Amino acid sequence: MPATTVLDATTADGALLVLAIVLPVVGILLSFVLGGRYAERIAGVLLPAGFIVACIIFLKVWQGGEPLIYIVGGWQPPLGITLRADGLSVAMMVAMAIVICLIGVFAHANFGSRAASVETRAPLVFWVMLMAISGAMNMIFLGGDLFTLYVALELLTFAAVPLVCLDGRVETLQAALRYLLFALLGSILYLVGTALLYGSYGTLDIVLMSQRVRLEPATLAAATLMTLGLFAKTALFPLHLWLPPAHAGAPAAASAVLSAVVVKGSFFLIVRLWFDALPGLLSVAASQLIGVLGASAIICGNIVALRQKRLKLLIAYSTVAQIGYLFLMFPLAFSADPSPHHYGDALTAGMLQTISHATAKAAMFMAAGLIYAALGHDRISELGGIARALPMTMFAFGLGGLCLIGLPPTGGFLAKWLLLEATIATAQWWWAIVIIAGGLLTSAYIYIVLSRTMGPPNAPLTLYAAVPKYQEVAALGLACLSVLLGLVALGPIDVLQVGRPEAPMAGLR
Amino acid sequence: MMETYPLLAGALLFPLGMLLACLWPGALLRMPSYLAFAPIPAFAAVLFVADVSPLVVGPPRLHLTFTLDLPGALLLGVAALLWITAGAYASPYLQGRPNRGRFAVCWLAALTGCIGVFLAADMVGFYLFLAMLTLGACGLIIQHETADAWRAGALYIGLGLLAETLLLIAFVLLAADIPGNGLLIADAAAALPTSPHRDLIISLLIAGFGMKAGLVPFHVWMPRAYAAAPTPAAAVLSGAAVKASILGMIRFLPLDTALPHTGTLLAAAGLFAALYGVVIGMTQRRPKVVLAYSSVSQMGFIVAVIGMGMIAGDGRAALAAIFYSANHVLVKGALFLSIGVIAATGRRYLWPMLLPVAIIAVGLGGLPLTGGALAKIVVDGPLGDGAANTVATLSAVGTTLLMLQFVRGLITTVSTDQEATAAPSLFWPWLSTAAASLVVPWALFLAVPEGMLPNPLAPELLWKALFPVLLGAILAAVVWRWVRRLPHIPEGDIVVVLDSCVKIAPAWGKTIEQAEGMLRRWHVAGISLLALTLALGAALLAQ
Repeated sequence: MPATTVLDATTADGALLVLAIVLPVVGILLSFVLGGRYAERIAGVLLPAGFIVACIIFLKVWQGGEPLIYIVGGWQPPLGITLRADGLSVAMMVAMAIVICLIGVFAHANFGSRAASVETRAPLVFWVMLMAISGAMNMIFLGGDLFTLYVALELLTFAAVPLVCLDGRVETLQAALRYLLFALLGSILYLVGTALLYGSYGTLDIVLMSQRVRLEPATLAAATLMTLGLFAKTALFPLHLWLPPAHAGAPAAASAVLSAVVVKGSFFLIVRLWFDALPGLLSVAASQLIGVLGASAIICGNIVALRQKRLKLLIAYSTVAQIGYLFLMFPLAFSADPSPHHYGDALTAGMLQTISHATAKAAMFMAAGLIYAALGHDRISELGGIARALPMTMFAFGLGGLCLIGLPPTGGFLAKWLLLEATIATAQWWWAIVIIAGGLLTSAYIYIVLSRTMGPPNAPLTLYAAVPKYQEVAALGLACLSVLLGLVALGPIDVLQVGRPEAPMAGLR
Repeated sequence: MMETYPLLAGALLFPLGMLLACLWPGALLRMPSYLAFAPIPAFAAVLFVADVSPLVVGPPRLHLTFTLDLPGALLLGVAALLWITAGAYASPYLQGRPNRGRFAVCWLAALTGCIGVFLAADMVGFYLFLAMLTLGACGLIIQHETADAWRAGALYIGLGLLAETLLLIAFVLLAADIPGNGLLIADAAAALPTSPHRDLIISLLIAGFGMKAGLVPFHVWMPRAYAAAPTPAAAVLSGAAVKASILGMIRFLPLDTALPHTGTLLAAAGLFAALYGVVIGMTQRRPKVVLAYSSVSQMGFIVAVIGMGMIAGDGRAALAAIFYSANHVLVKGALFLSIGVIAATGRRYLWPMLLPVAIIAVGLGGLPLTGGALAKIVVDGPLGDGAANTVATLSAVGTTLLMLQFVRGLITTVSTDQEATAAPSLFWPWLSTAAASLVVPWALFLAVPEGMLPNPLAPELLWKALFPVLLGAILAAVVWRWVRRLPHIPEGDIVVVLDSCVKIAPAWGKTIEQAEGMLRRWHVAGISLLALTLALGAALLAQ
């Protein structure tokens, strides 16, 4: 049995974890108290502060090589609530905090509160929901028991749904309802699974559960329900019906949050569930099934993206495809001949893919939003000449595209290298074919978009609105991050393994 | 001799620095005039670096290693020369044309990639710079932004990325075989003969590098890309950039171990391409396309030399192939540059301009005393006396014929203004490339210790080189005199098949799109959720 030592004492600096969750909550309360005109200013202070807190936690965990733990109120699990920051949490926290901050910069143009203006609905909702998402994500990354994670997941969903329908048009309202209904279905499945697990083991604490867990039908049924619920929330193919209309219809800043950040929350829970709470329970057949779903997402999502006429829909379908890559880590980590090395490699690859997709996709949605703002439409066939009008924007789009294709030195490349290494080490060449085909299809639609935008305009280009420079800089900054992510191989990539129990060996099988 | 590190670092950092400087709009505006300076540090490195001690960049755990071994140095030297002259040529070429800044950026990216590939000693660096080269080259191909250029660019980047993915898998497999954590290419090549995946890795390497080298049937990108690219870009792509694939084969394939089966296949594929390129090239009218098919033929020939080396397990074939490539770098570069010069020349000054073109063109077929003849002597050993040598002679005859066809096609492109002369800024870079293509092979040949290679001035060798050229010339005369119409084959020949596949693809895409639309309906999604729950539950229980 792995992890025999129970880490159940608050470590030094554990209070930082509380701060990471409380900061955004304070922001939300202040916004309601002071009014919508101040919401942006409050977010402008608290989101960077959250980023700094995340960085401090990251450094402590990286240098200490030990997870940070905080027992809320001093009540020990299984009664109390534990917050736990291991390598996975801190890496994701920092990455998501950067993305959210840059999205905040970008959103200033659309949801900025002008001095002495009256309070309007959209900015208040946007900034409050952005802070709520930031807090919910931190809670998902730090939560040490499955019920806290459920609460965080609900918070995330309810913060994300209003973002879809910020502009209140009919089709966005429909998309938001669709999202809400399907996400609630997912929540119910997750909650039922949690209840079943509590009934079997009398605890929902992840560390305690990993020590008590047994291979029995009730556990497996619970795990199945929870996983399916999370699949629905992550929009894994073929349960992606809500994603394209929701992500393509929202305002650019909201699309970026939804695509880059929100879907990663439920994905992270799937990882927590199978890697930490129920180690060694995922059978080879089940992991292959998850892999097949991921592979069909990659192939189908990319092909449908290739056929889209509108840029934002194309990017949304590209998200459907990229979500597929995340799930390839399961068949690779839980292969027929498990070895700790490949287990760690697959996990690292999946997390790296998560982070590089977050940065690249946020940059691409921002670029698409700027094009939409400038032209008043985003029909791909009529984008001619825009590259000359907005060179920096298109550069950001292209760099993000390189990351999705997986060219060096981007983070996407490093993730693909690790995934390919794992496919070969575990002799599962079929996933390698999917990875290759996905990369080629991706390059095809990136090339089509770039060639259209660089081509001559059909009619003389009329720009409806001037695009603020800082919005372009925010998009470019994220794109550059996604490119430079490949360089983490030189440094802090080890941090992902901090606080991880040794890979489950055949012990439970 | 000077210290190695600063020279190697400078060779790479100088063009990279110029590339980064393009972020500043003021520098970008002037950059097209300074392209010729970017490769000078690389050339200096070739001249002054004496040893092969590597330059290591980065922390010990994961680092990039660069070194200047003999094959890399030979290719880098001639490639840098071509990049310098073509860069000088590009400056006047770009005057008054749109997208000059983008051209400079893509040029510098391709140049950095090219130098990086020649210097890289580890797989990550090799792959990184190869990707940079592909992206830069793609940008150069689409420079003119015509529909043809976009199609050529799509074909180039599609095949290029496919090739790189195959190589990536090969590299990942190789990385697993290297003892320890290193990723050095030399270690990978040493571990390859005993690897459990040996045949798979070699197939992947050959497929990947073969696509990059334009081996038939992956040659389809070459005619389109070189025809669409601006003249100076076509010169460096066909001359320098494509040689990355040859260097890759030599670095990765275990040429010291005899692998008769793989070697035979490789040699056969190469020799087939050598003849195929000539035959299809003869049916082409545009000089750039004729040169592109000649490149298909010549690259095939070089691959065949490597294949013959694999059959015998003779590592010396590598240097022979590199020597042949080095000659091709300068000759093909000079020929592409001549297209622009002749187009700017009037009838009155045509013949003095055409003479050097004709000499180096026919030199590719092995005209005695040219670099081509020396290259043929160098590869004579690895080719042996069997069928390969006969095919090589045939290809020399064909190349002469093709080159004469090229010169003939060139005459028709002459300027309508009788008195026109090419601007000195176009003329001198071209003439120096042509001169270098005659002088440099001799300098390299004479650097080989005496006795290792036969005397190129011996009468029987002179005759052996001359007779395919004569035969080719006679054939050319016959073709021009009696064959009224050559069949017309579209540029890129079998790519037409691919084009029709592309036309079918939308139908498939539509089917998939419709199926996806179905899956997004509520009740279907509900059923999928239920079905997946059952399937996952069953899969979990089945352990």
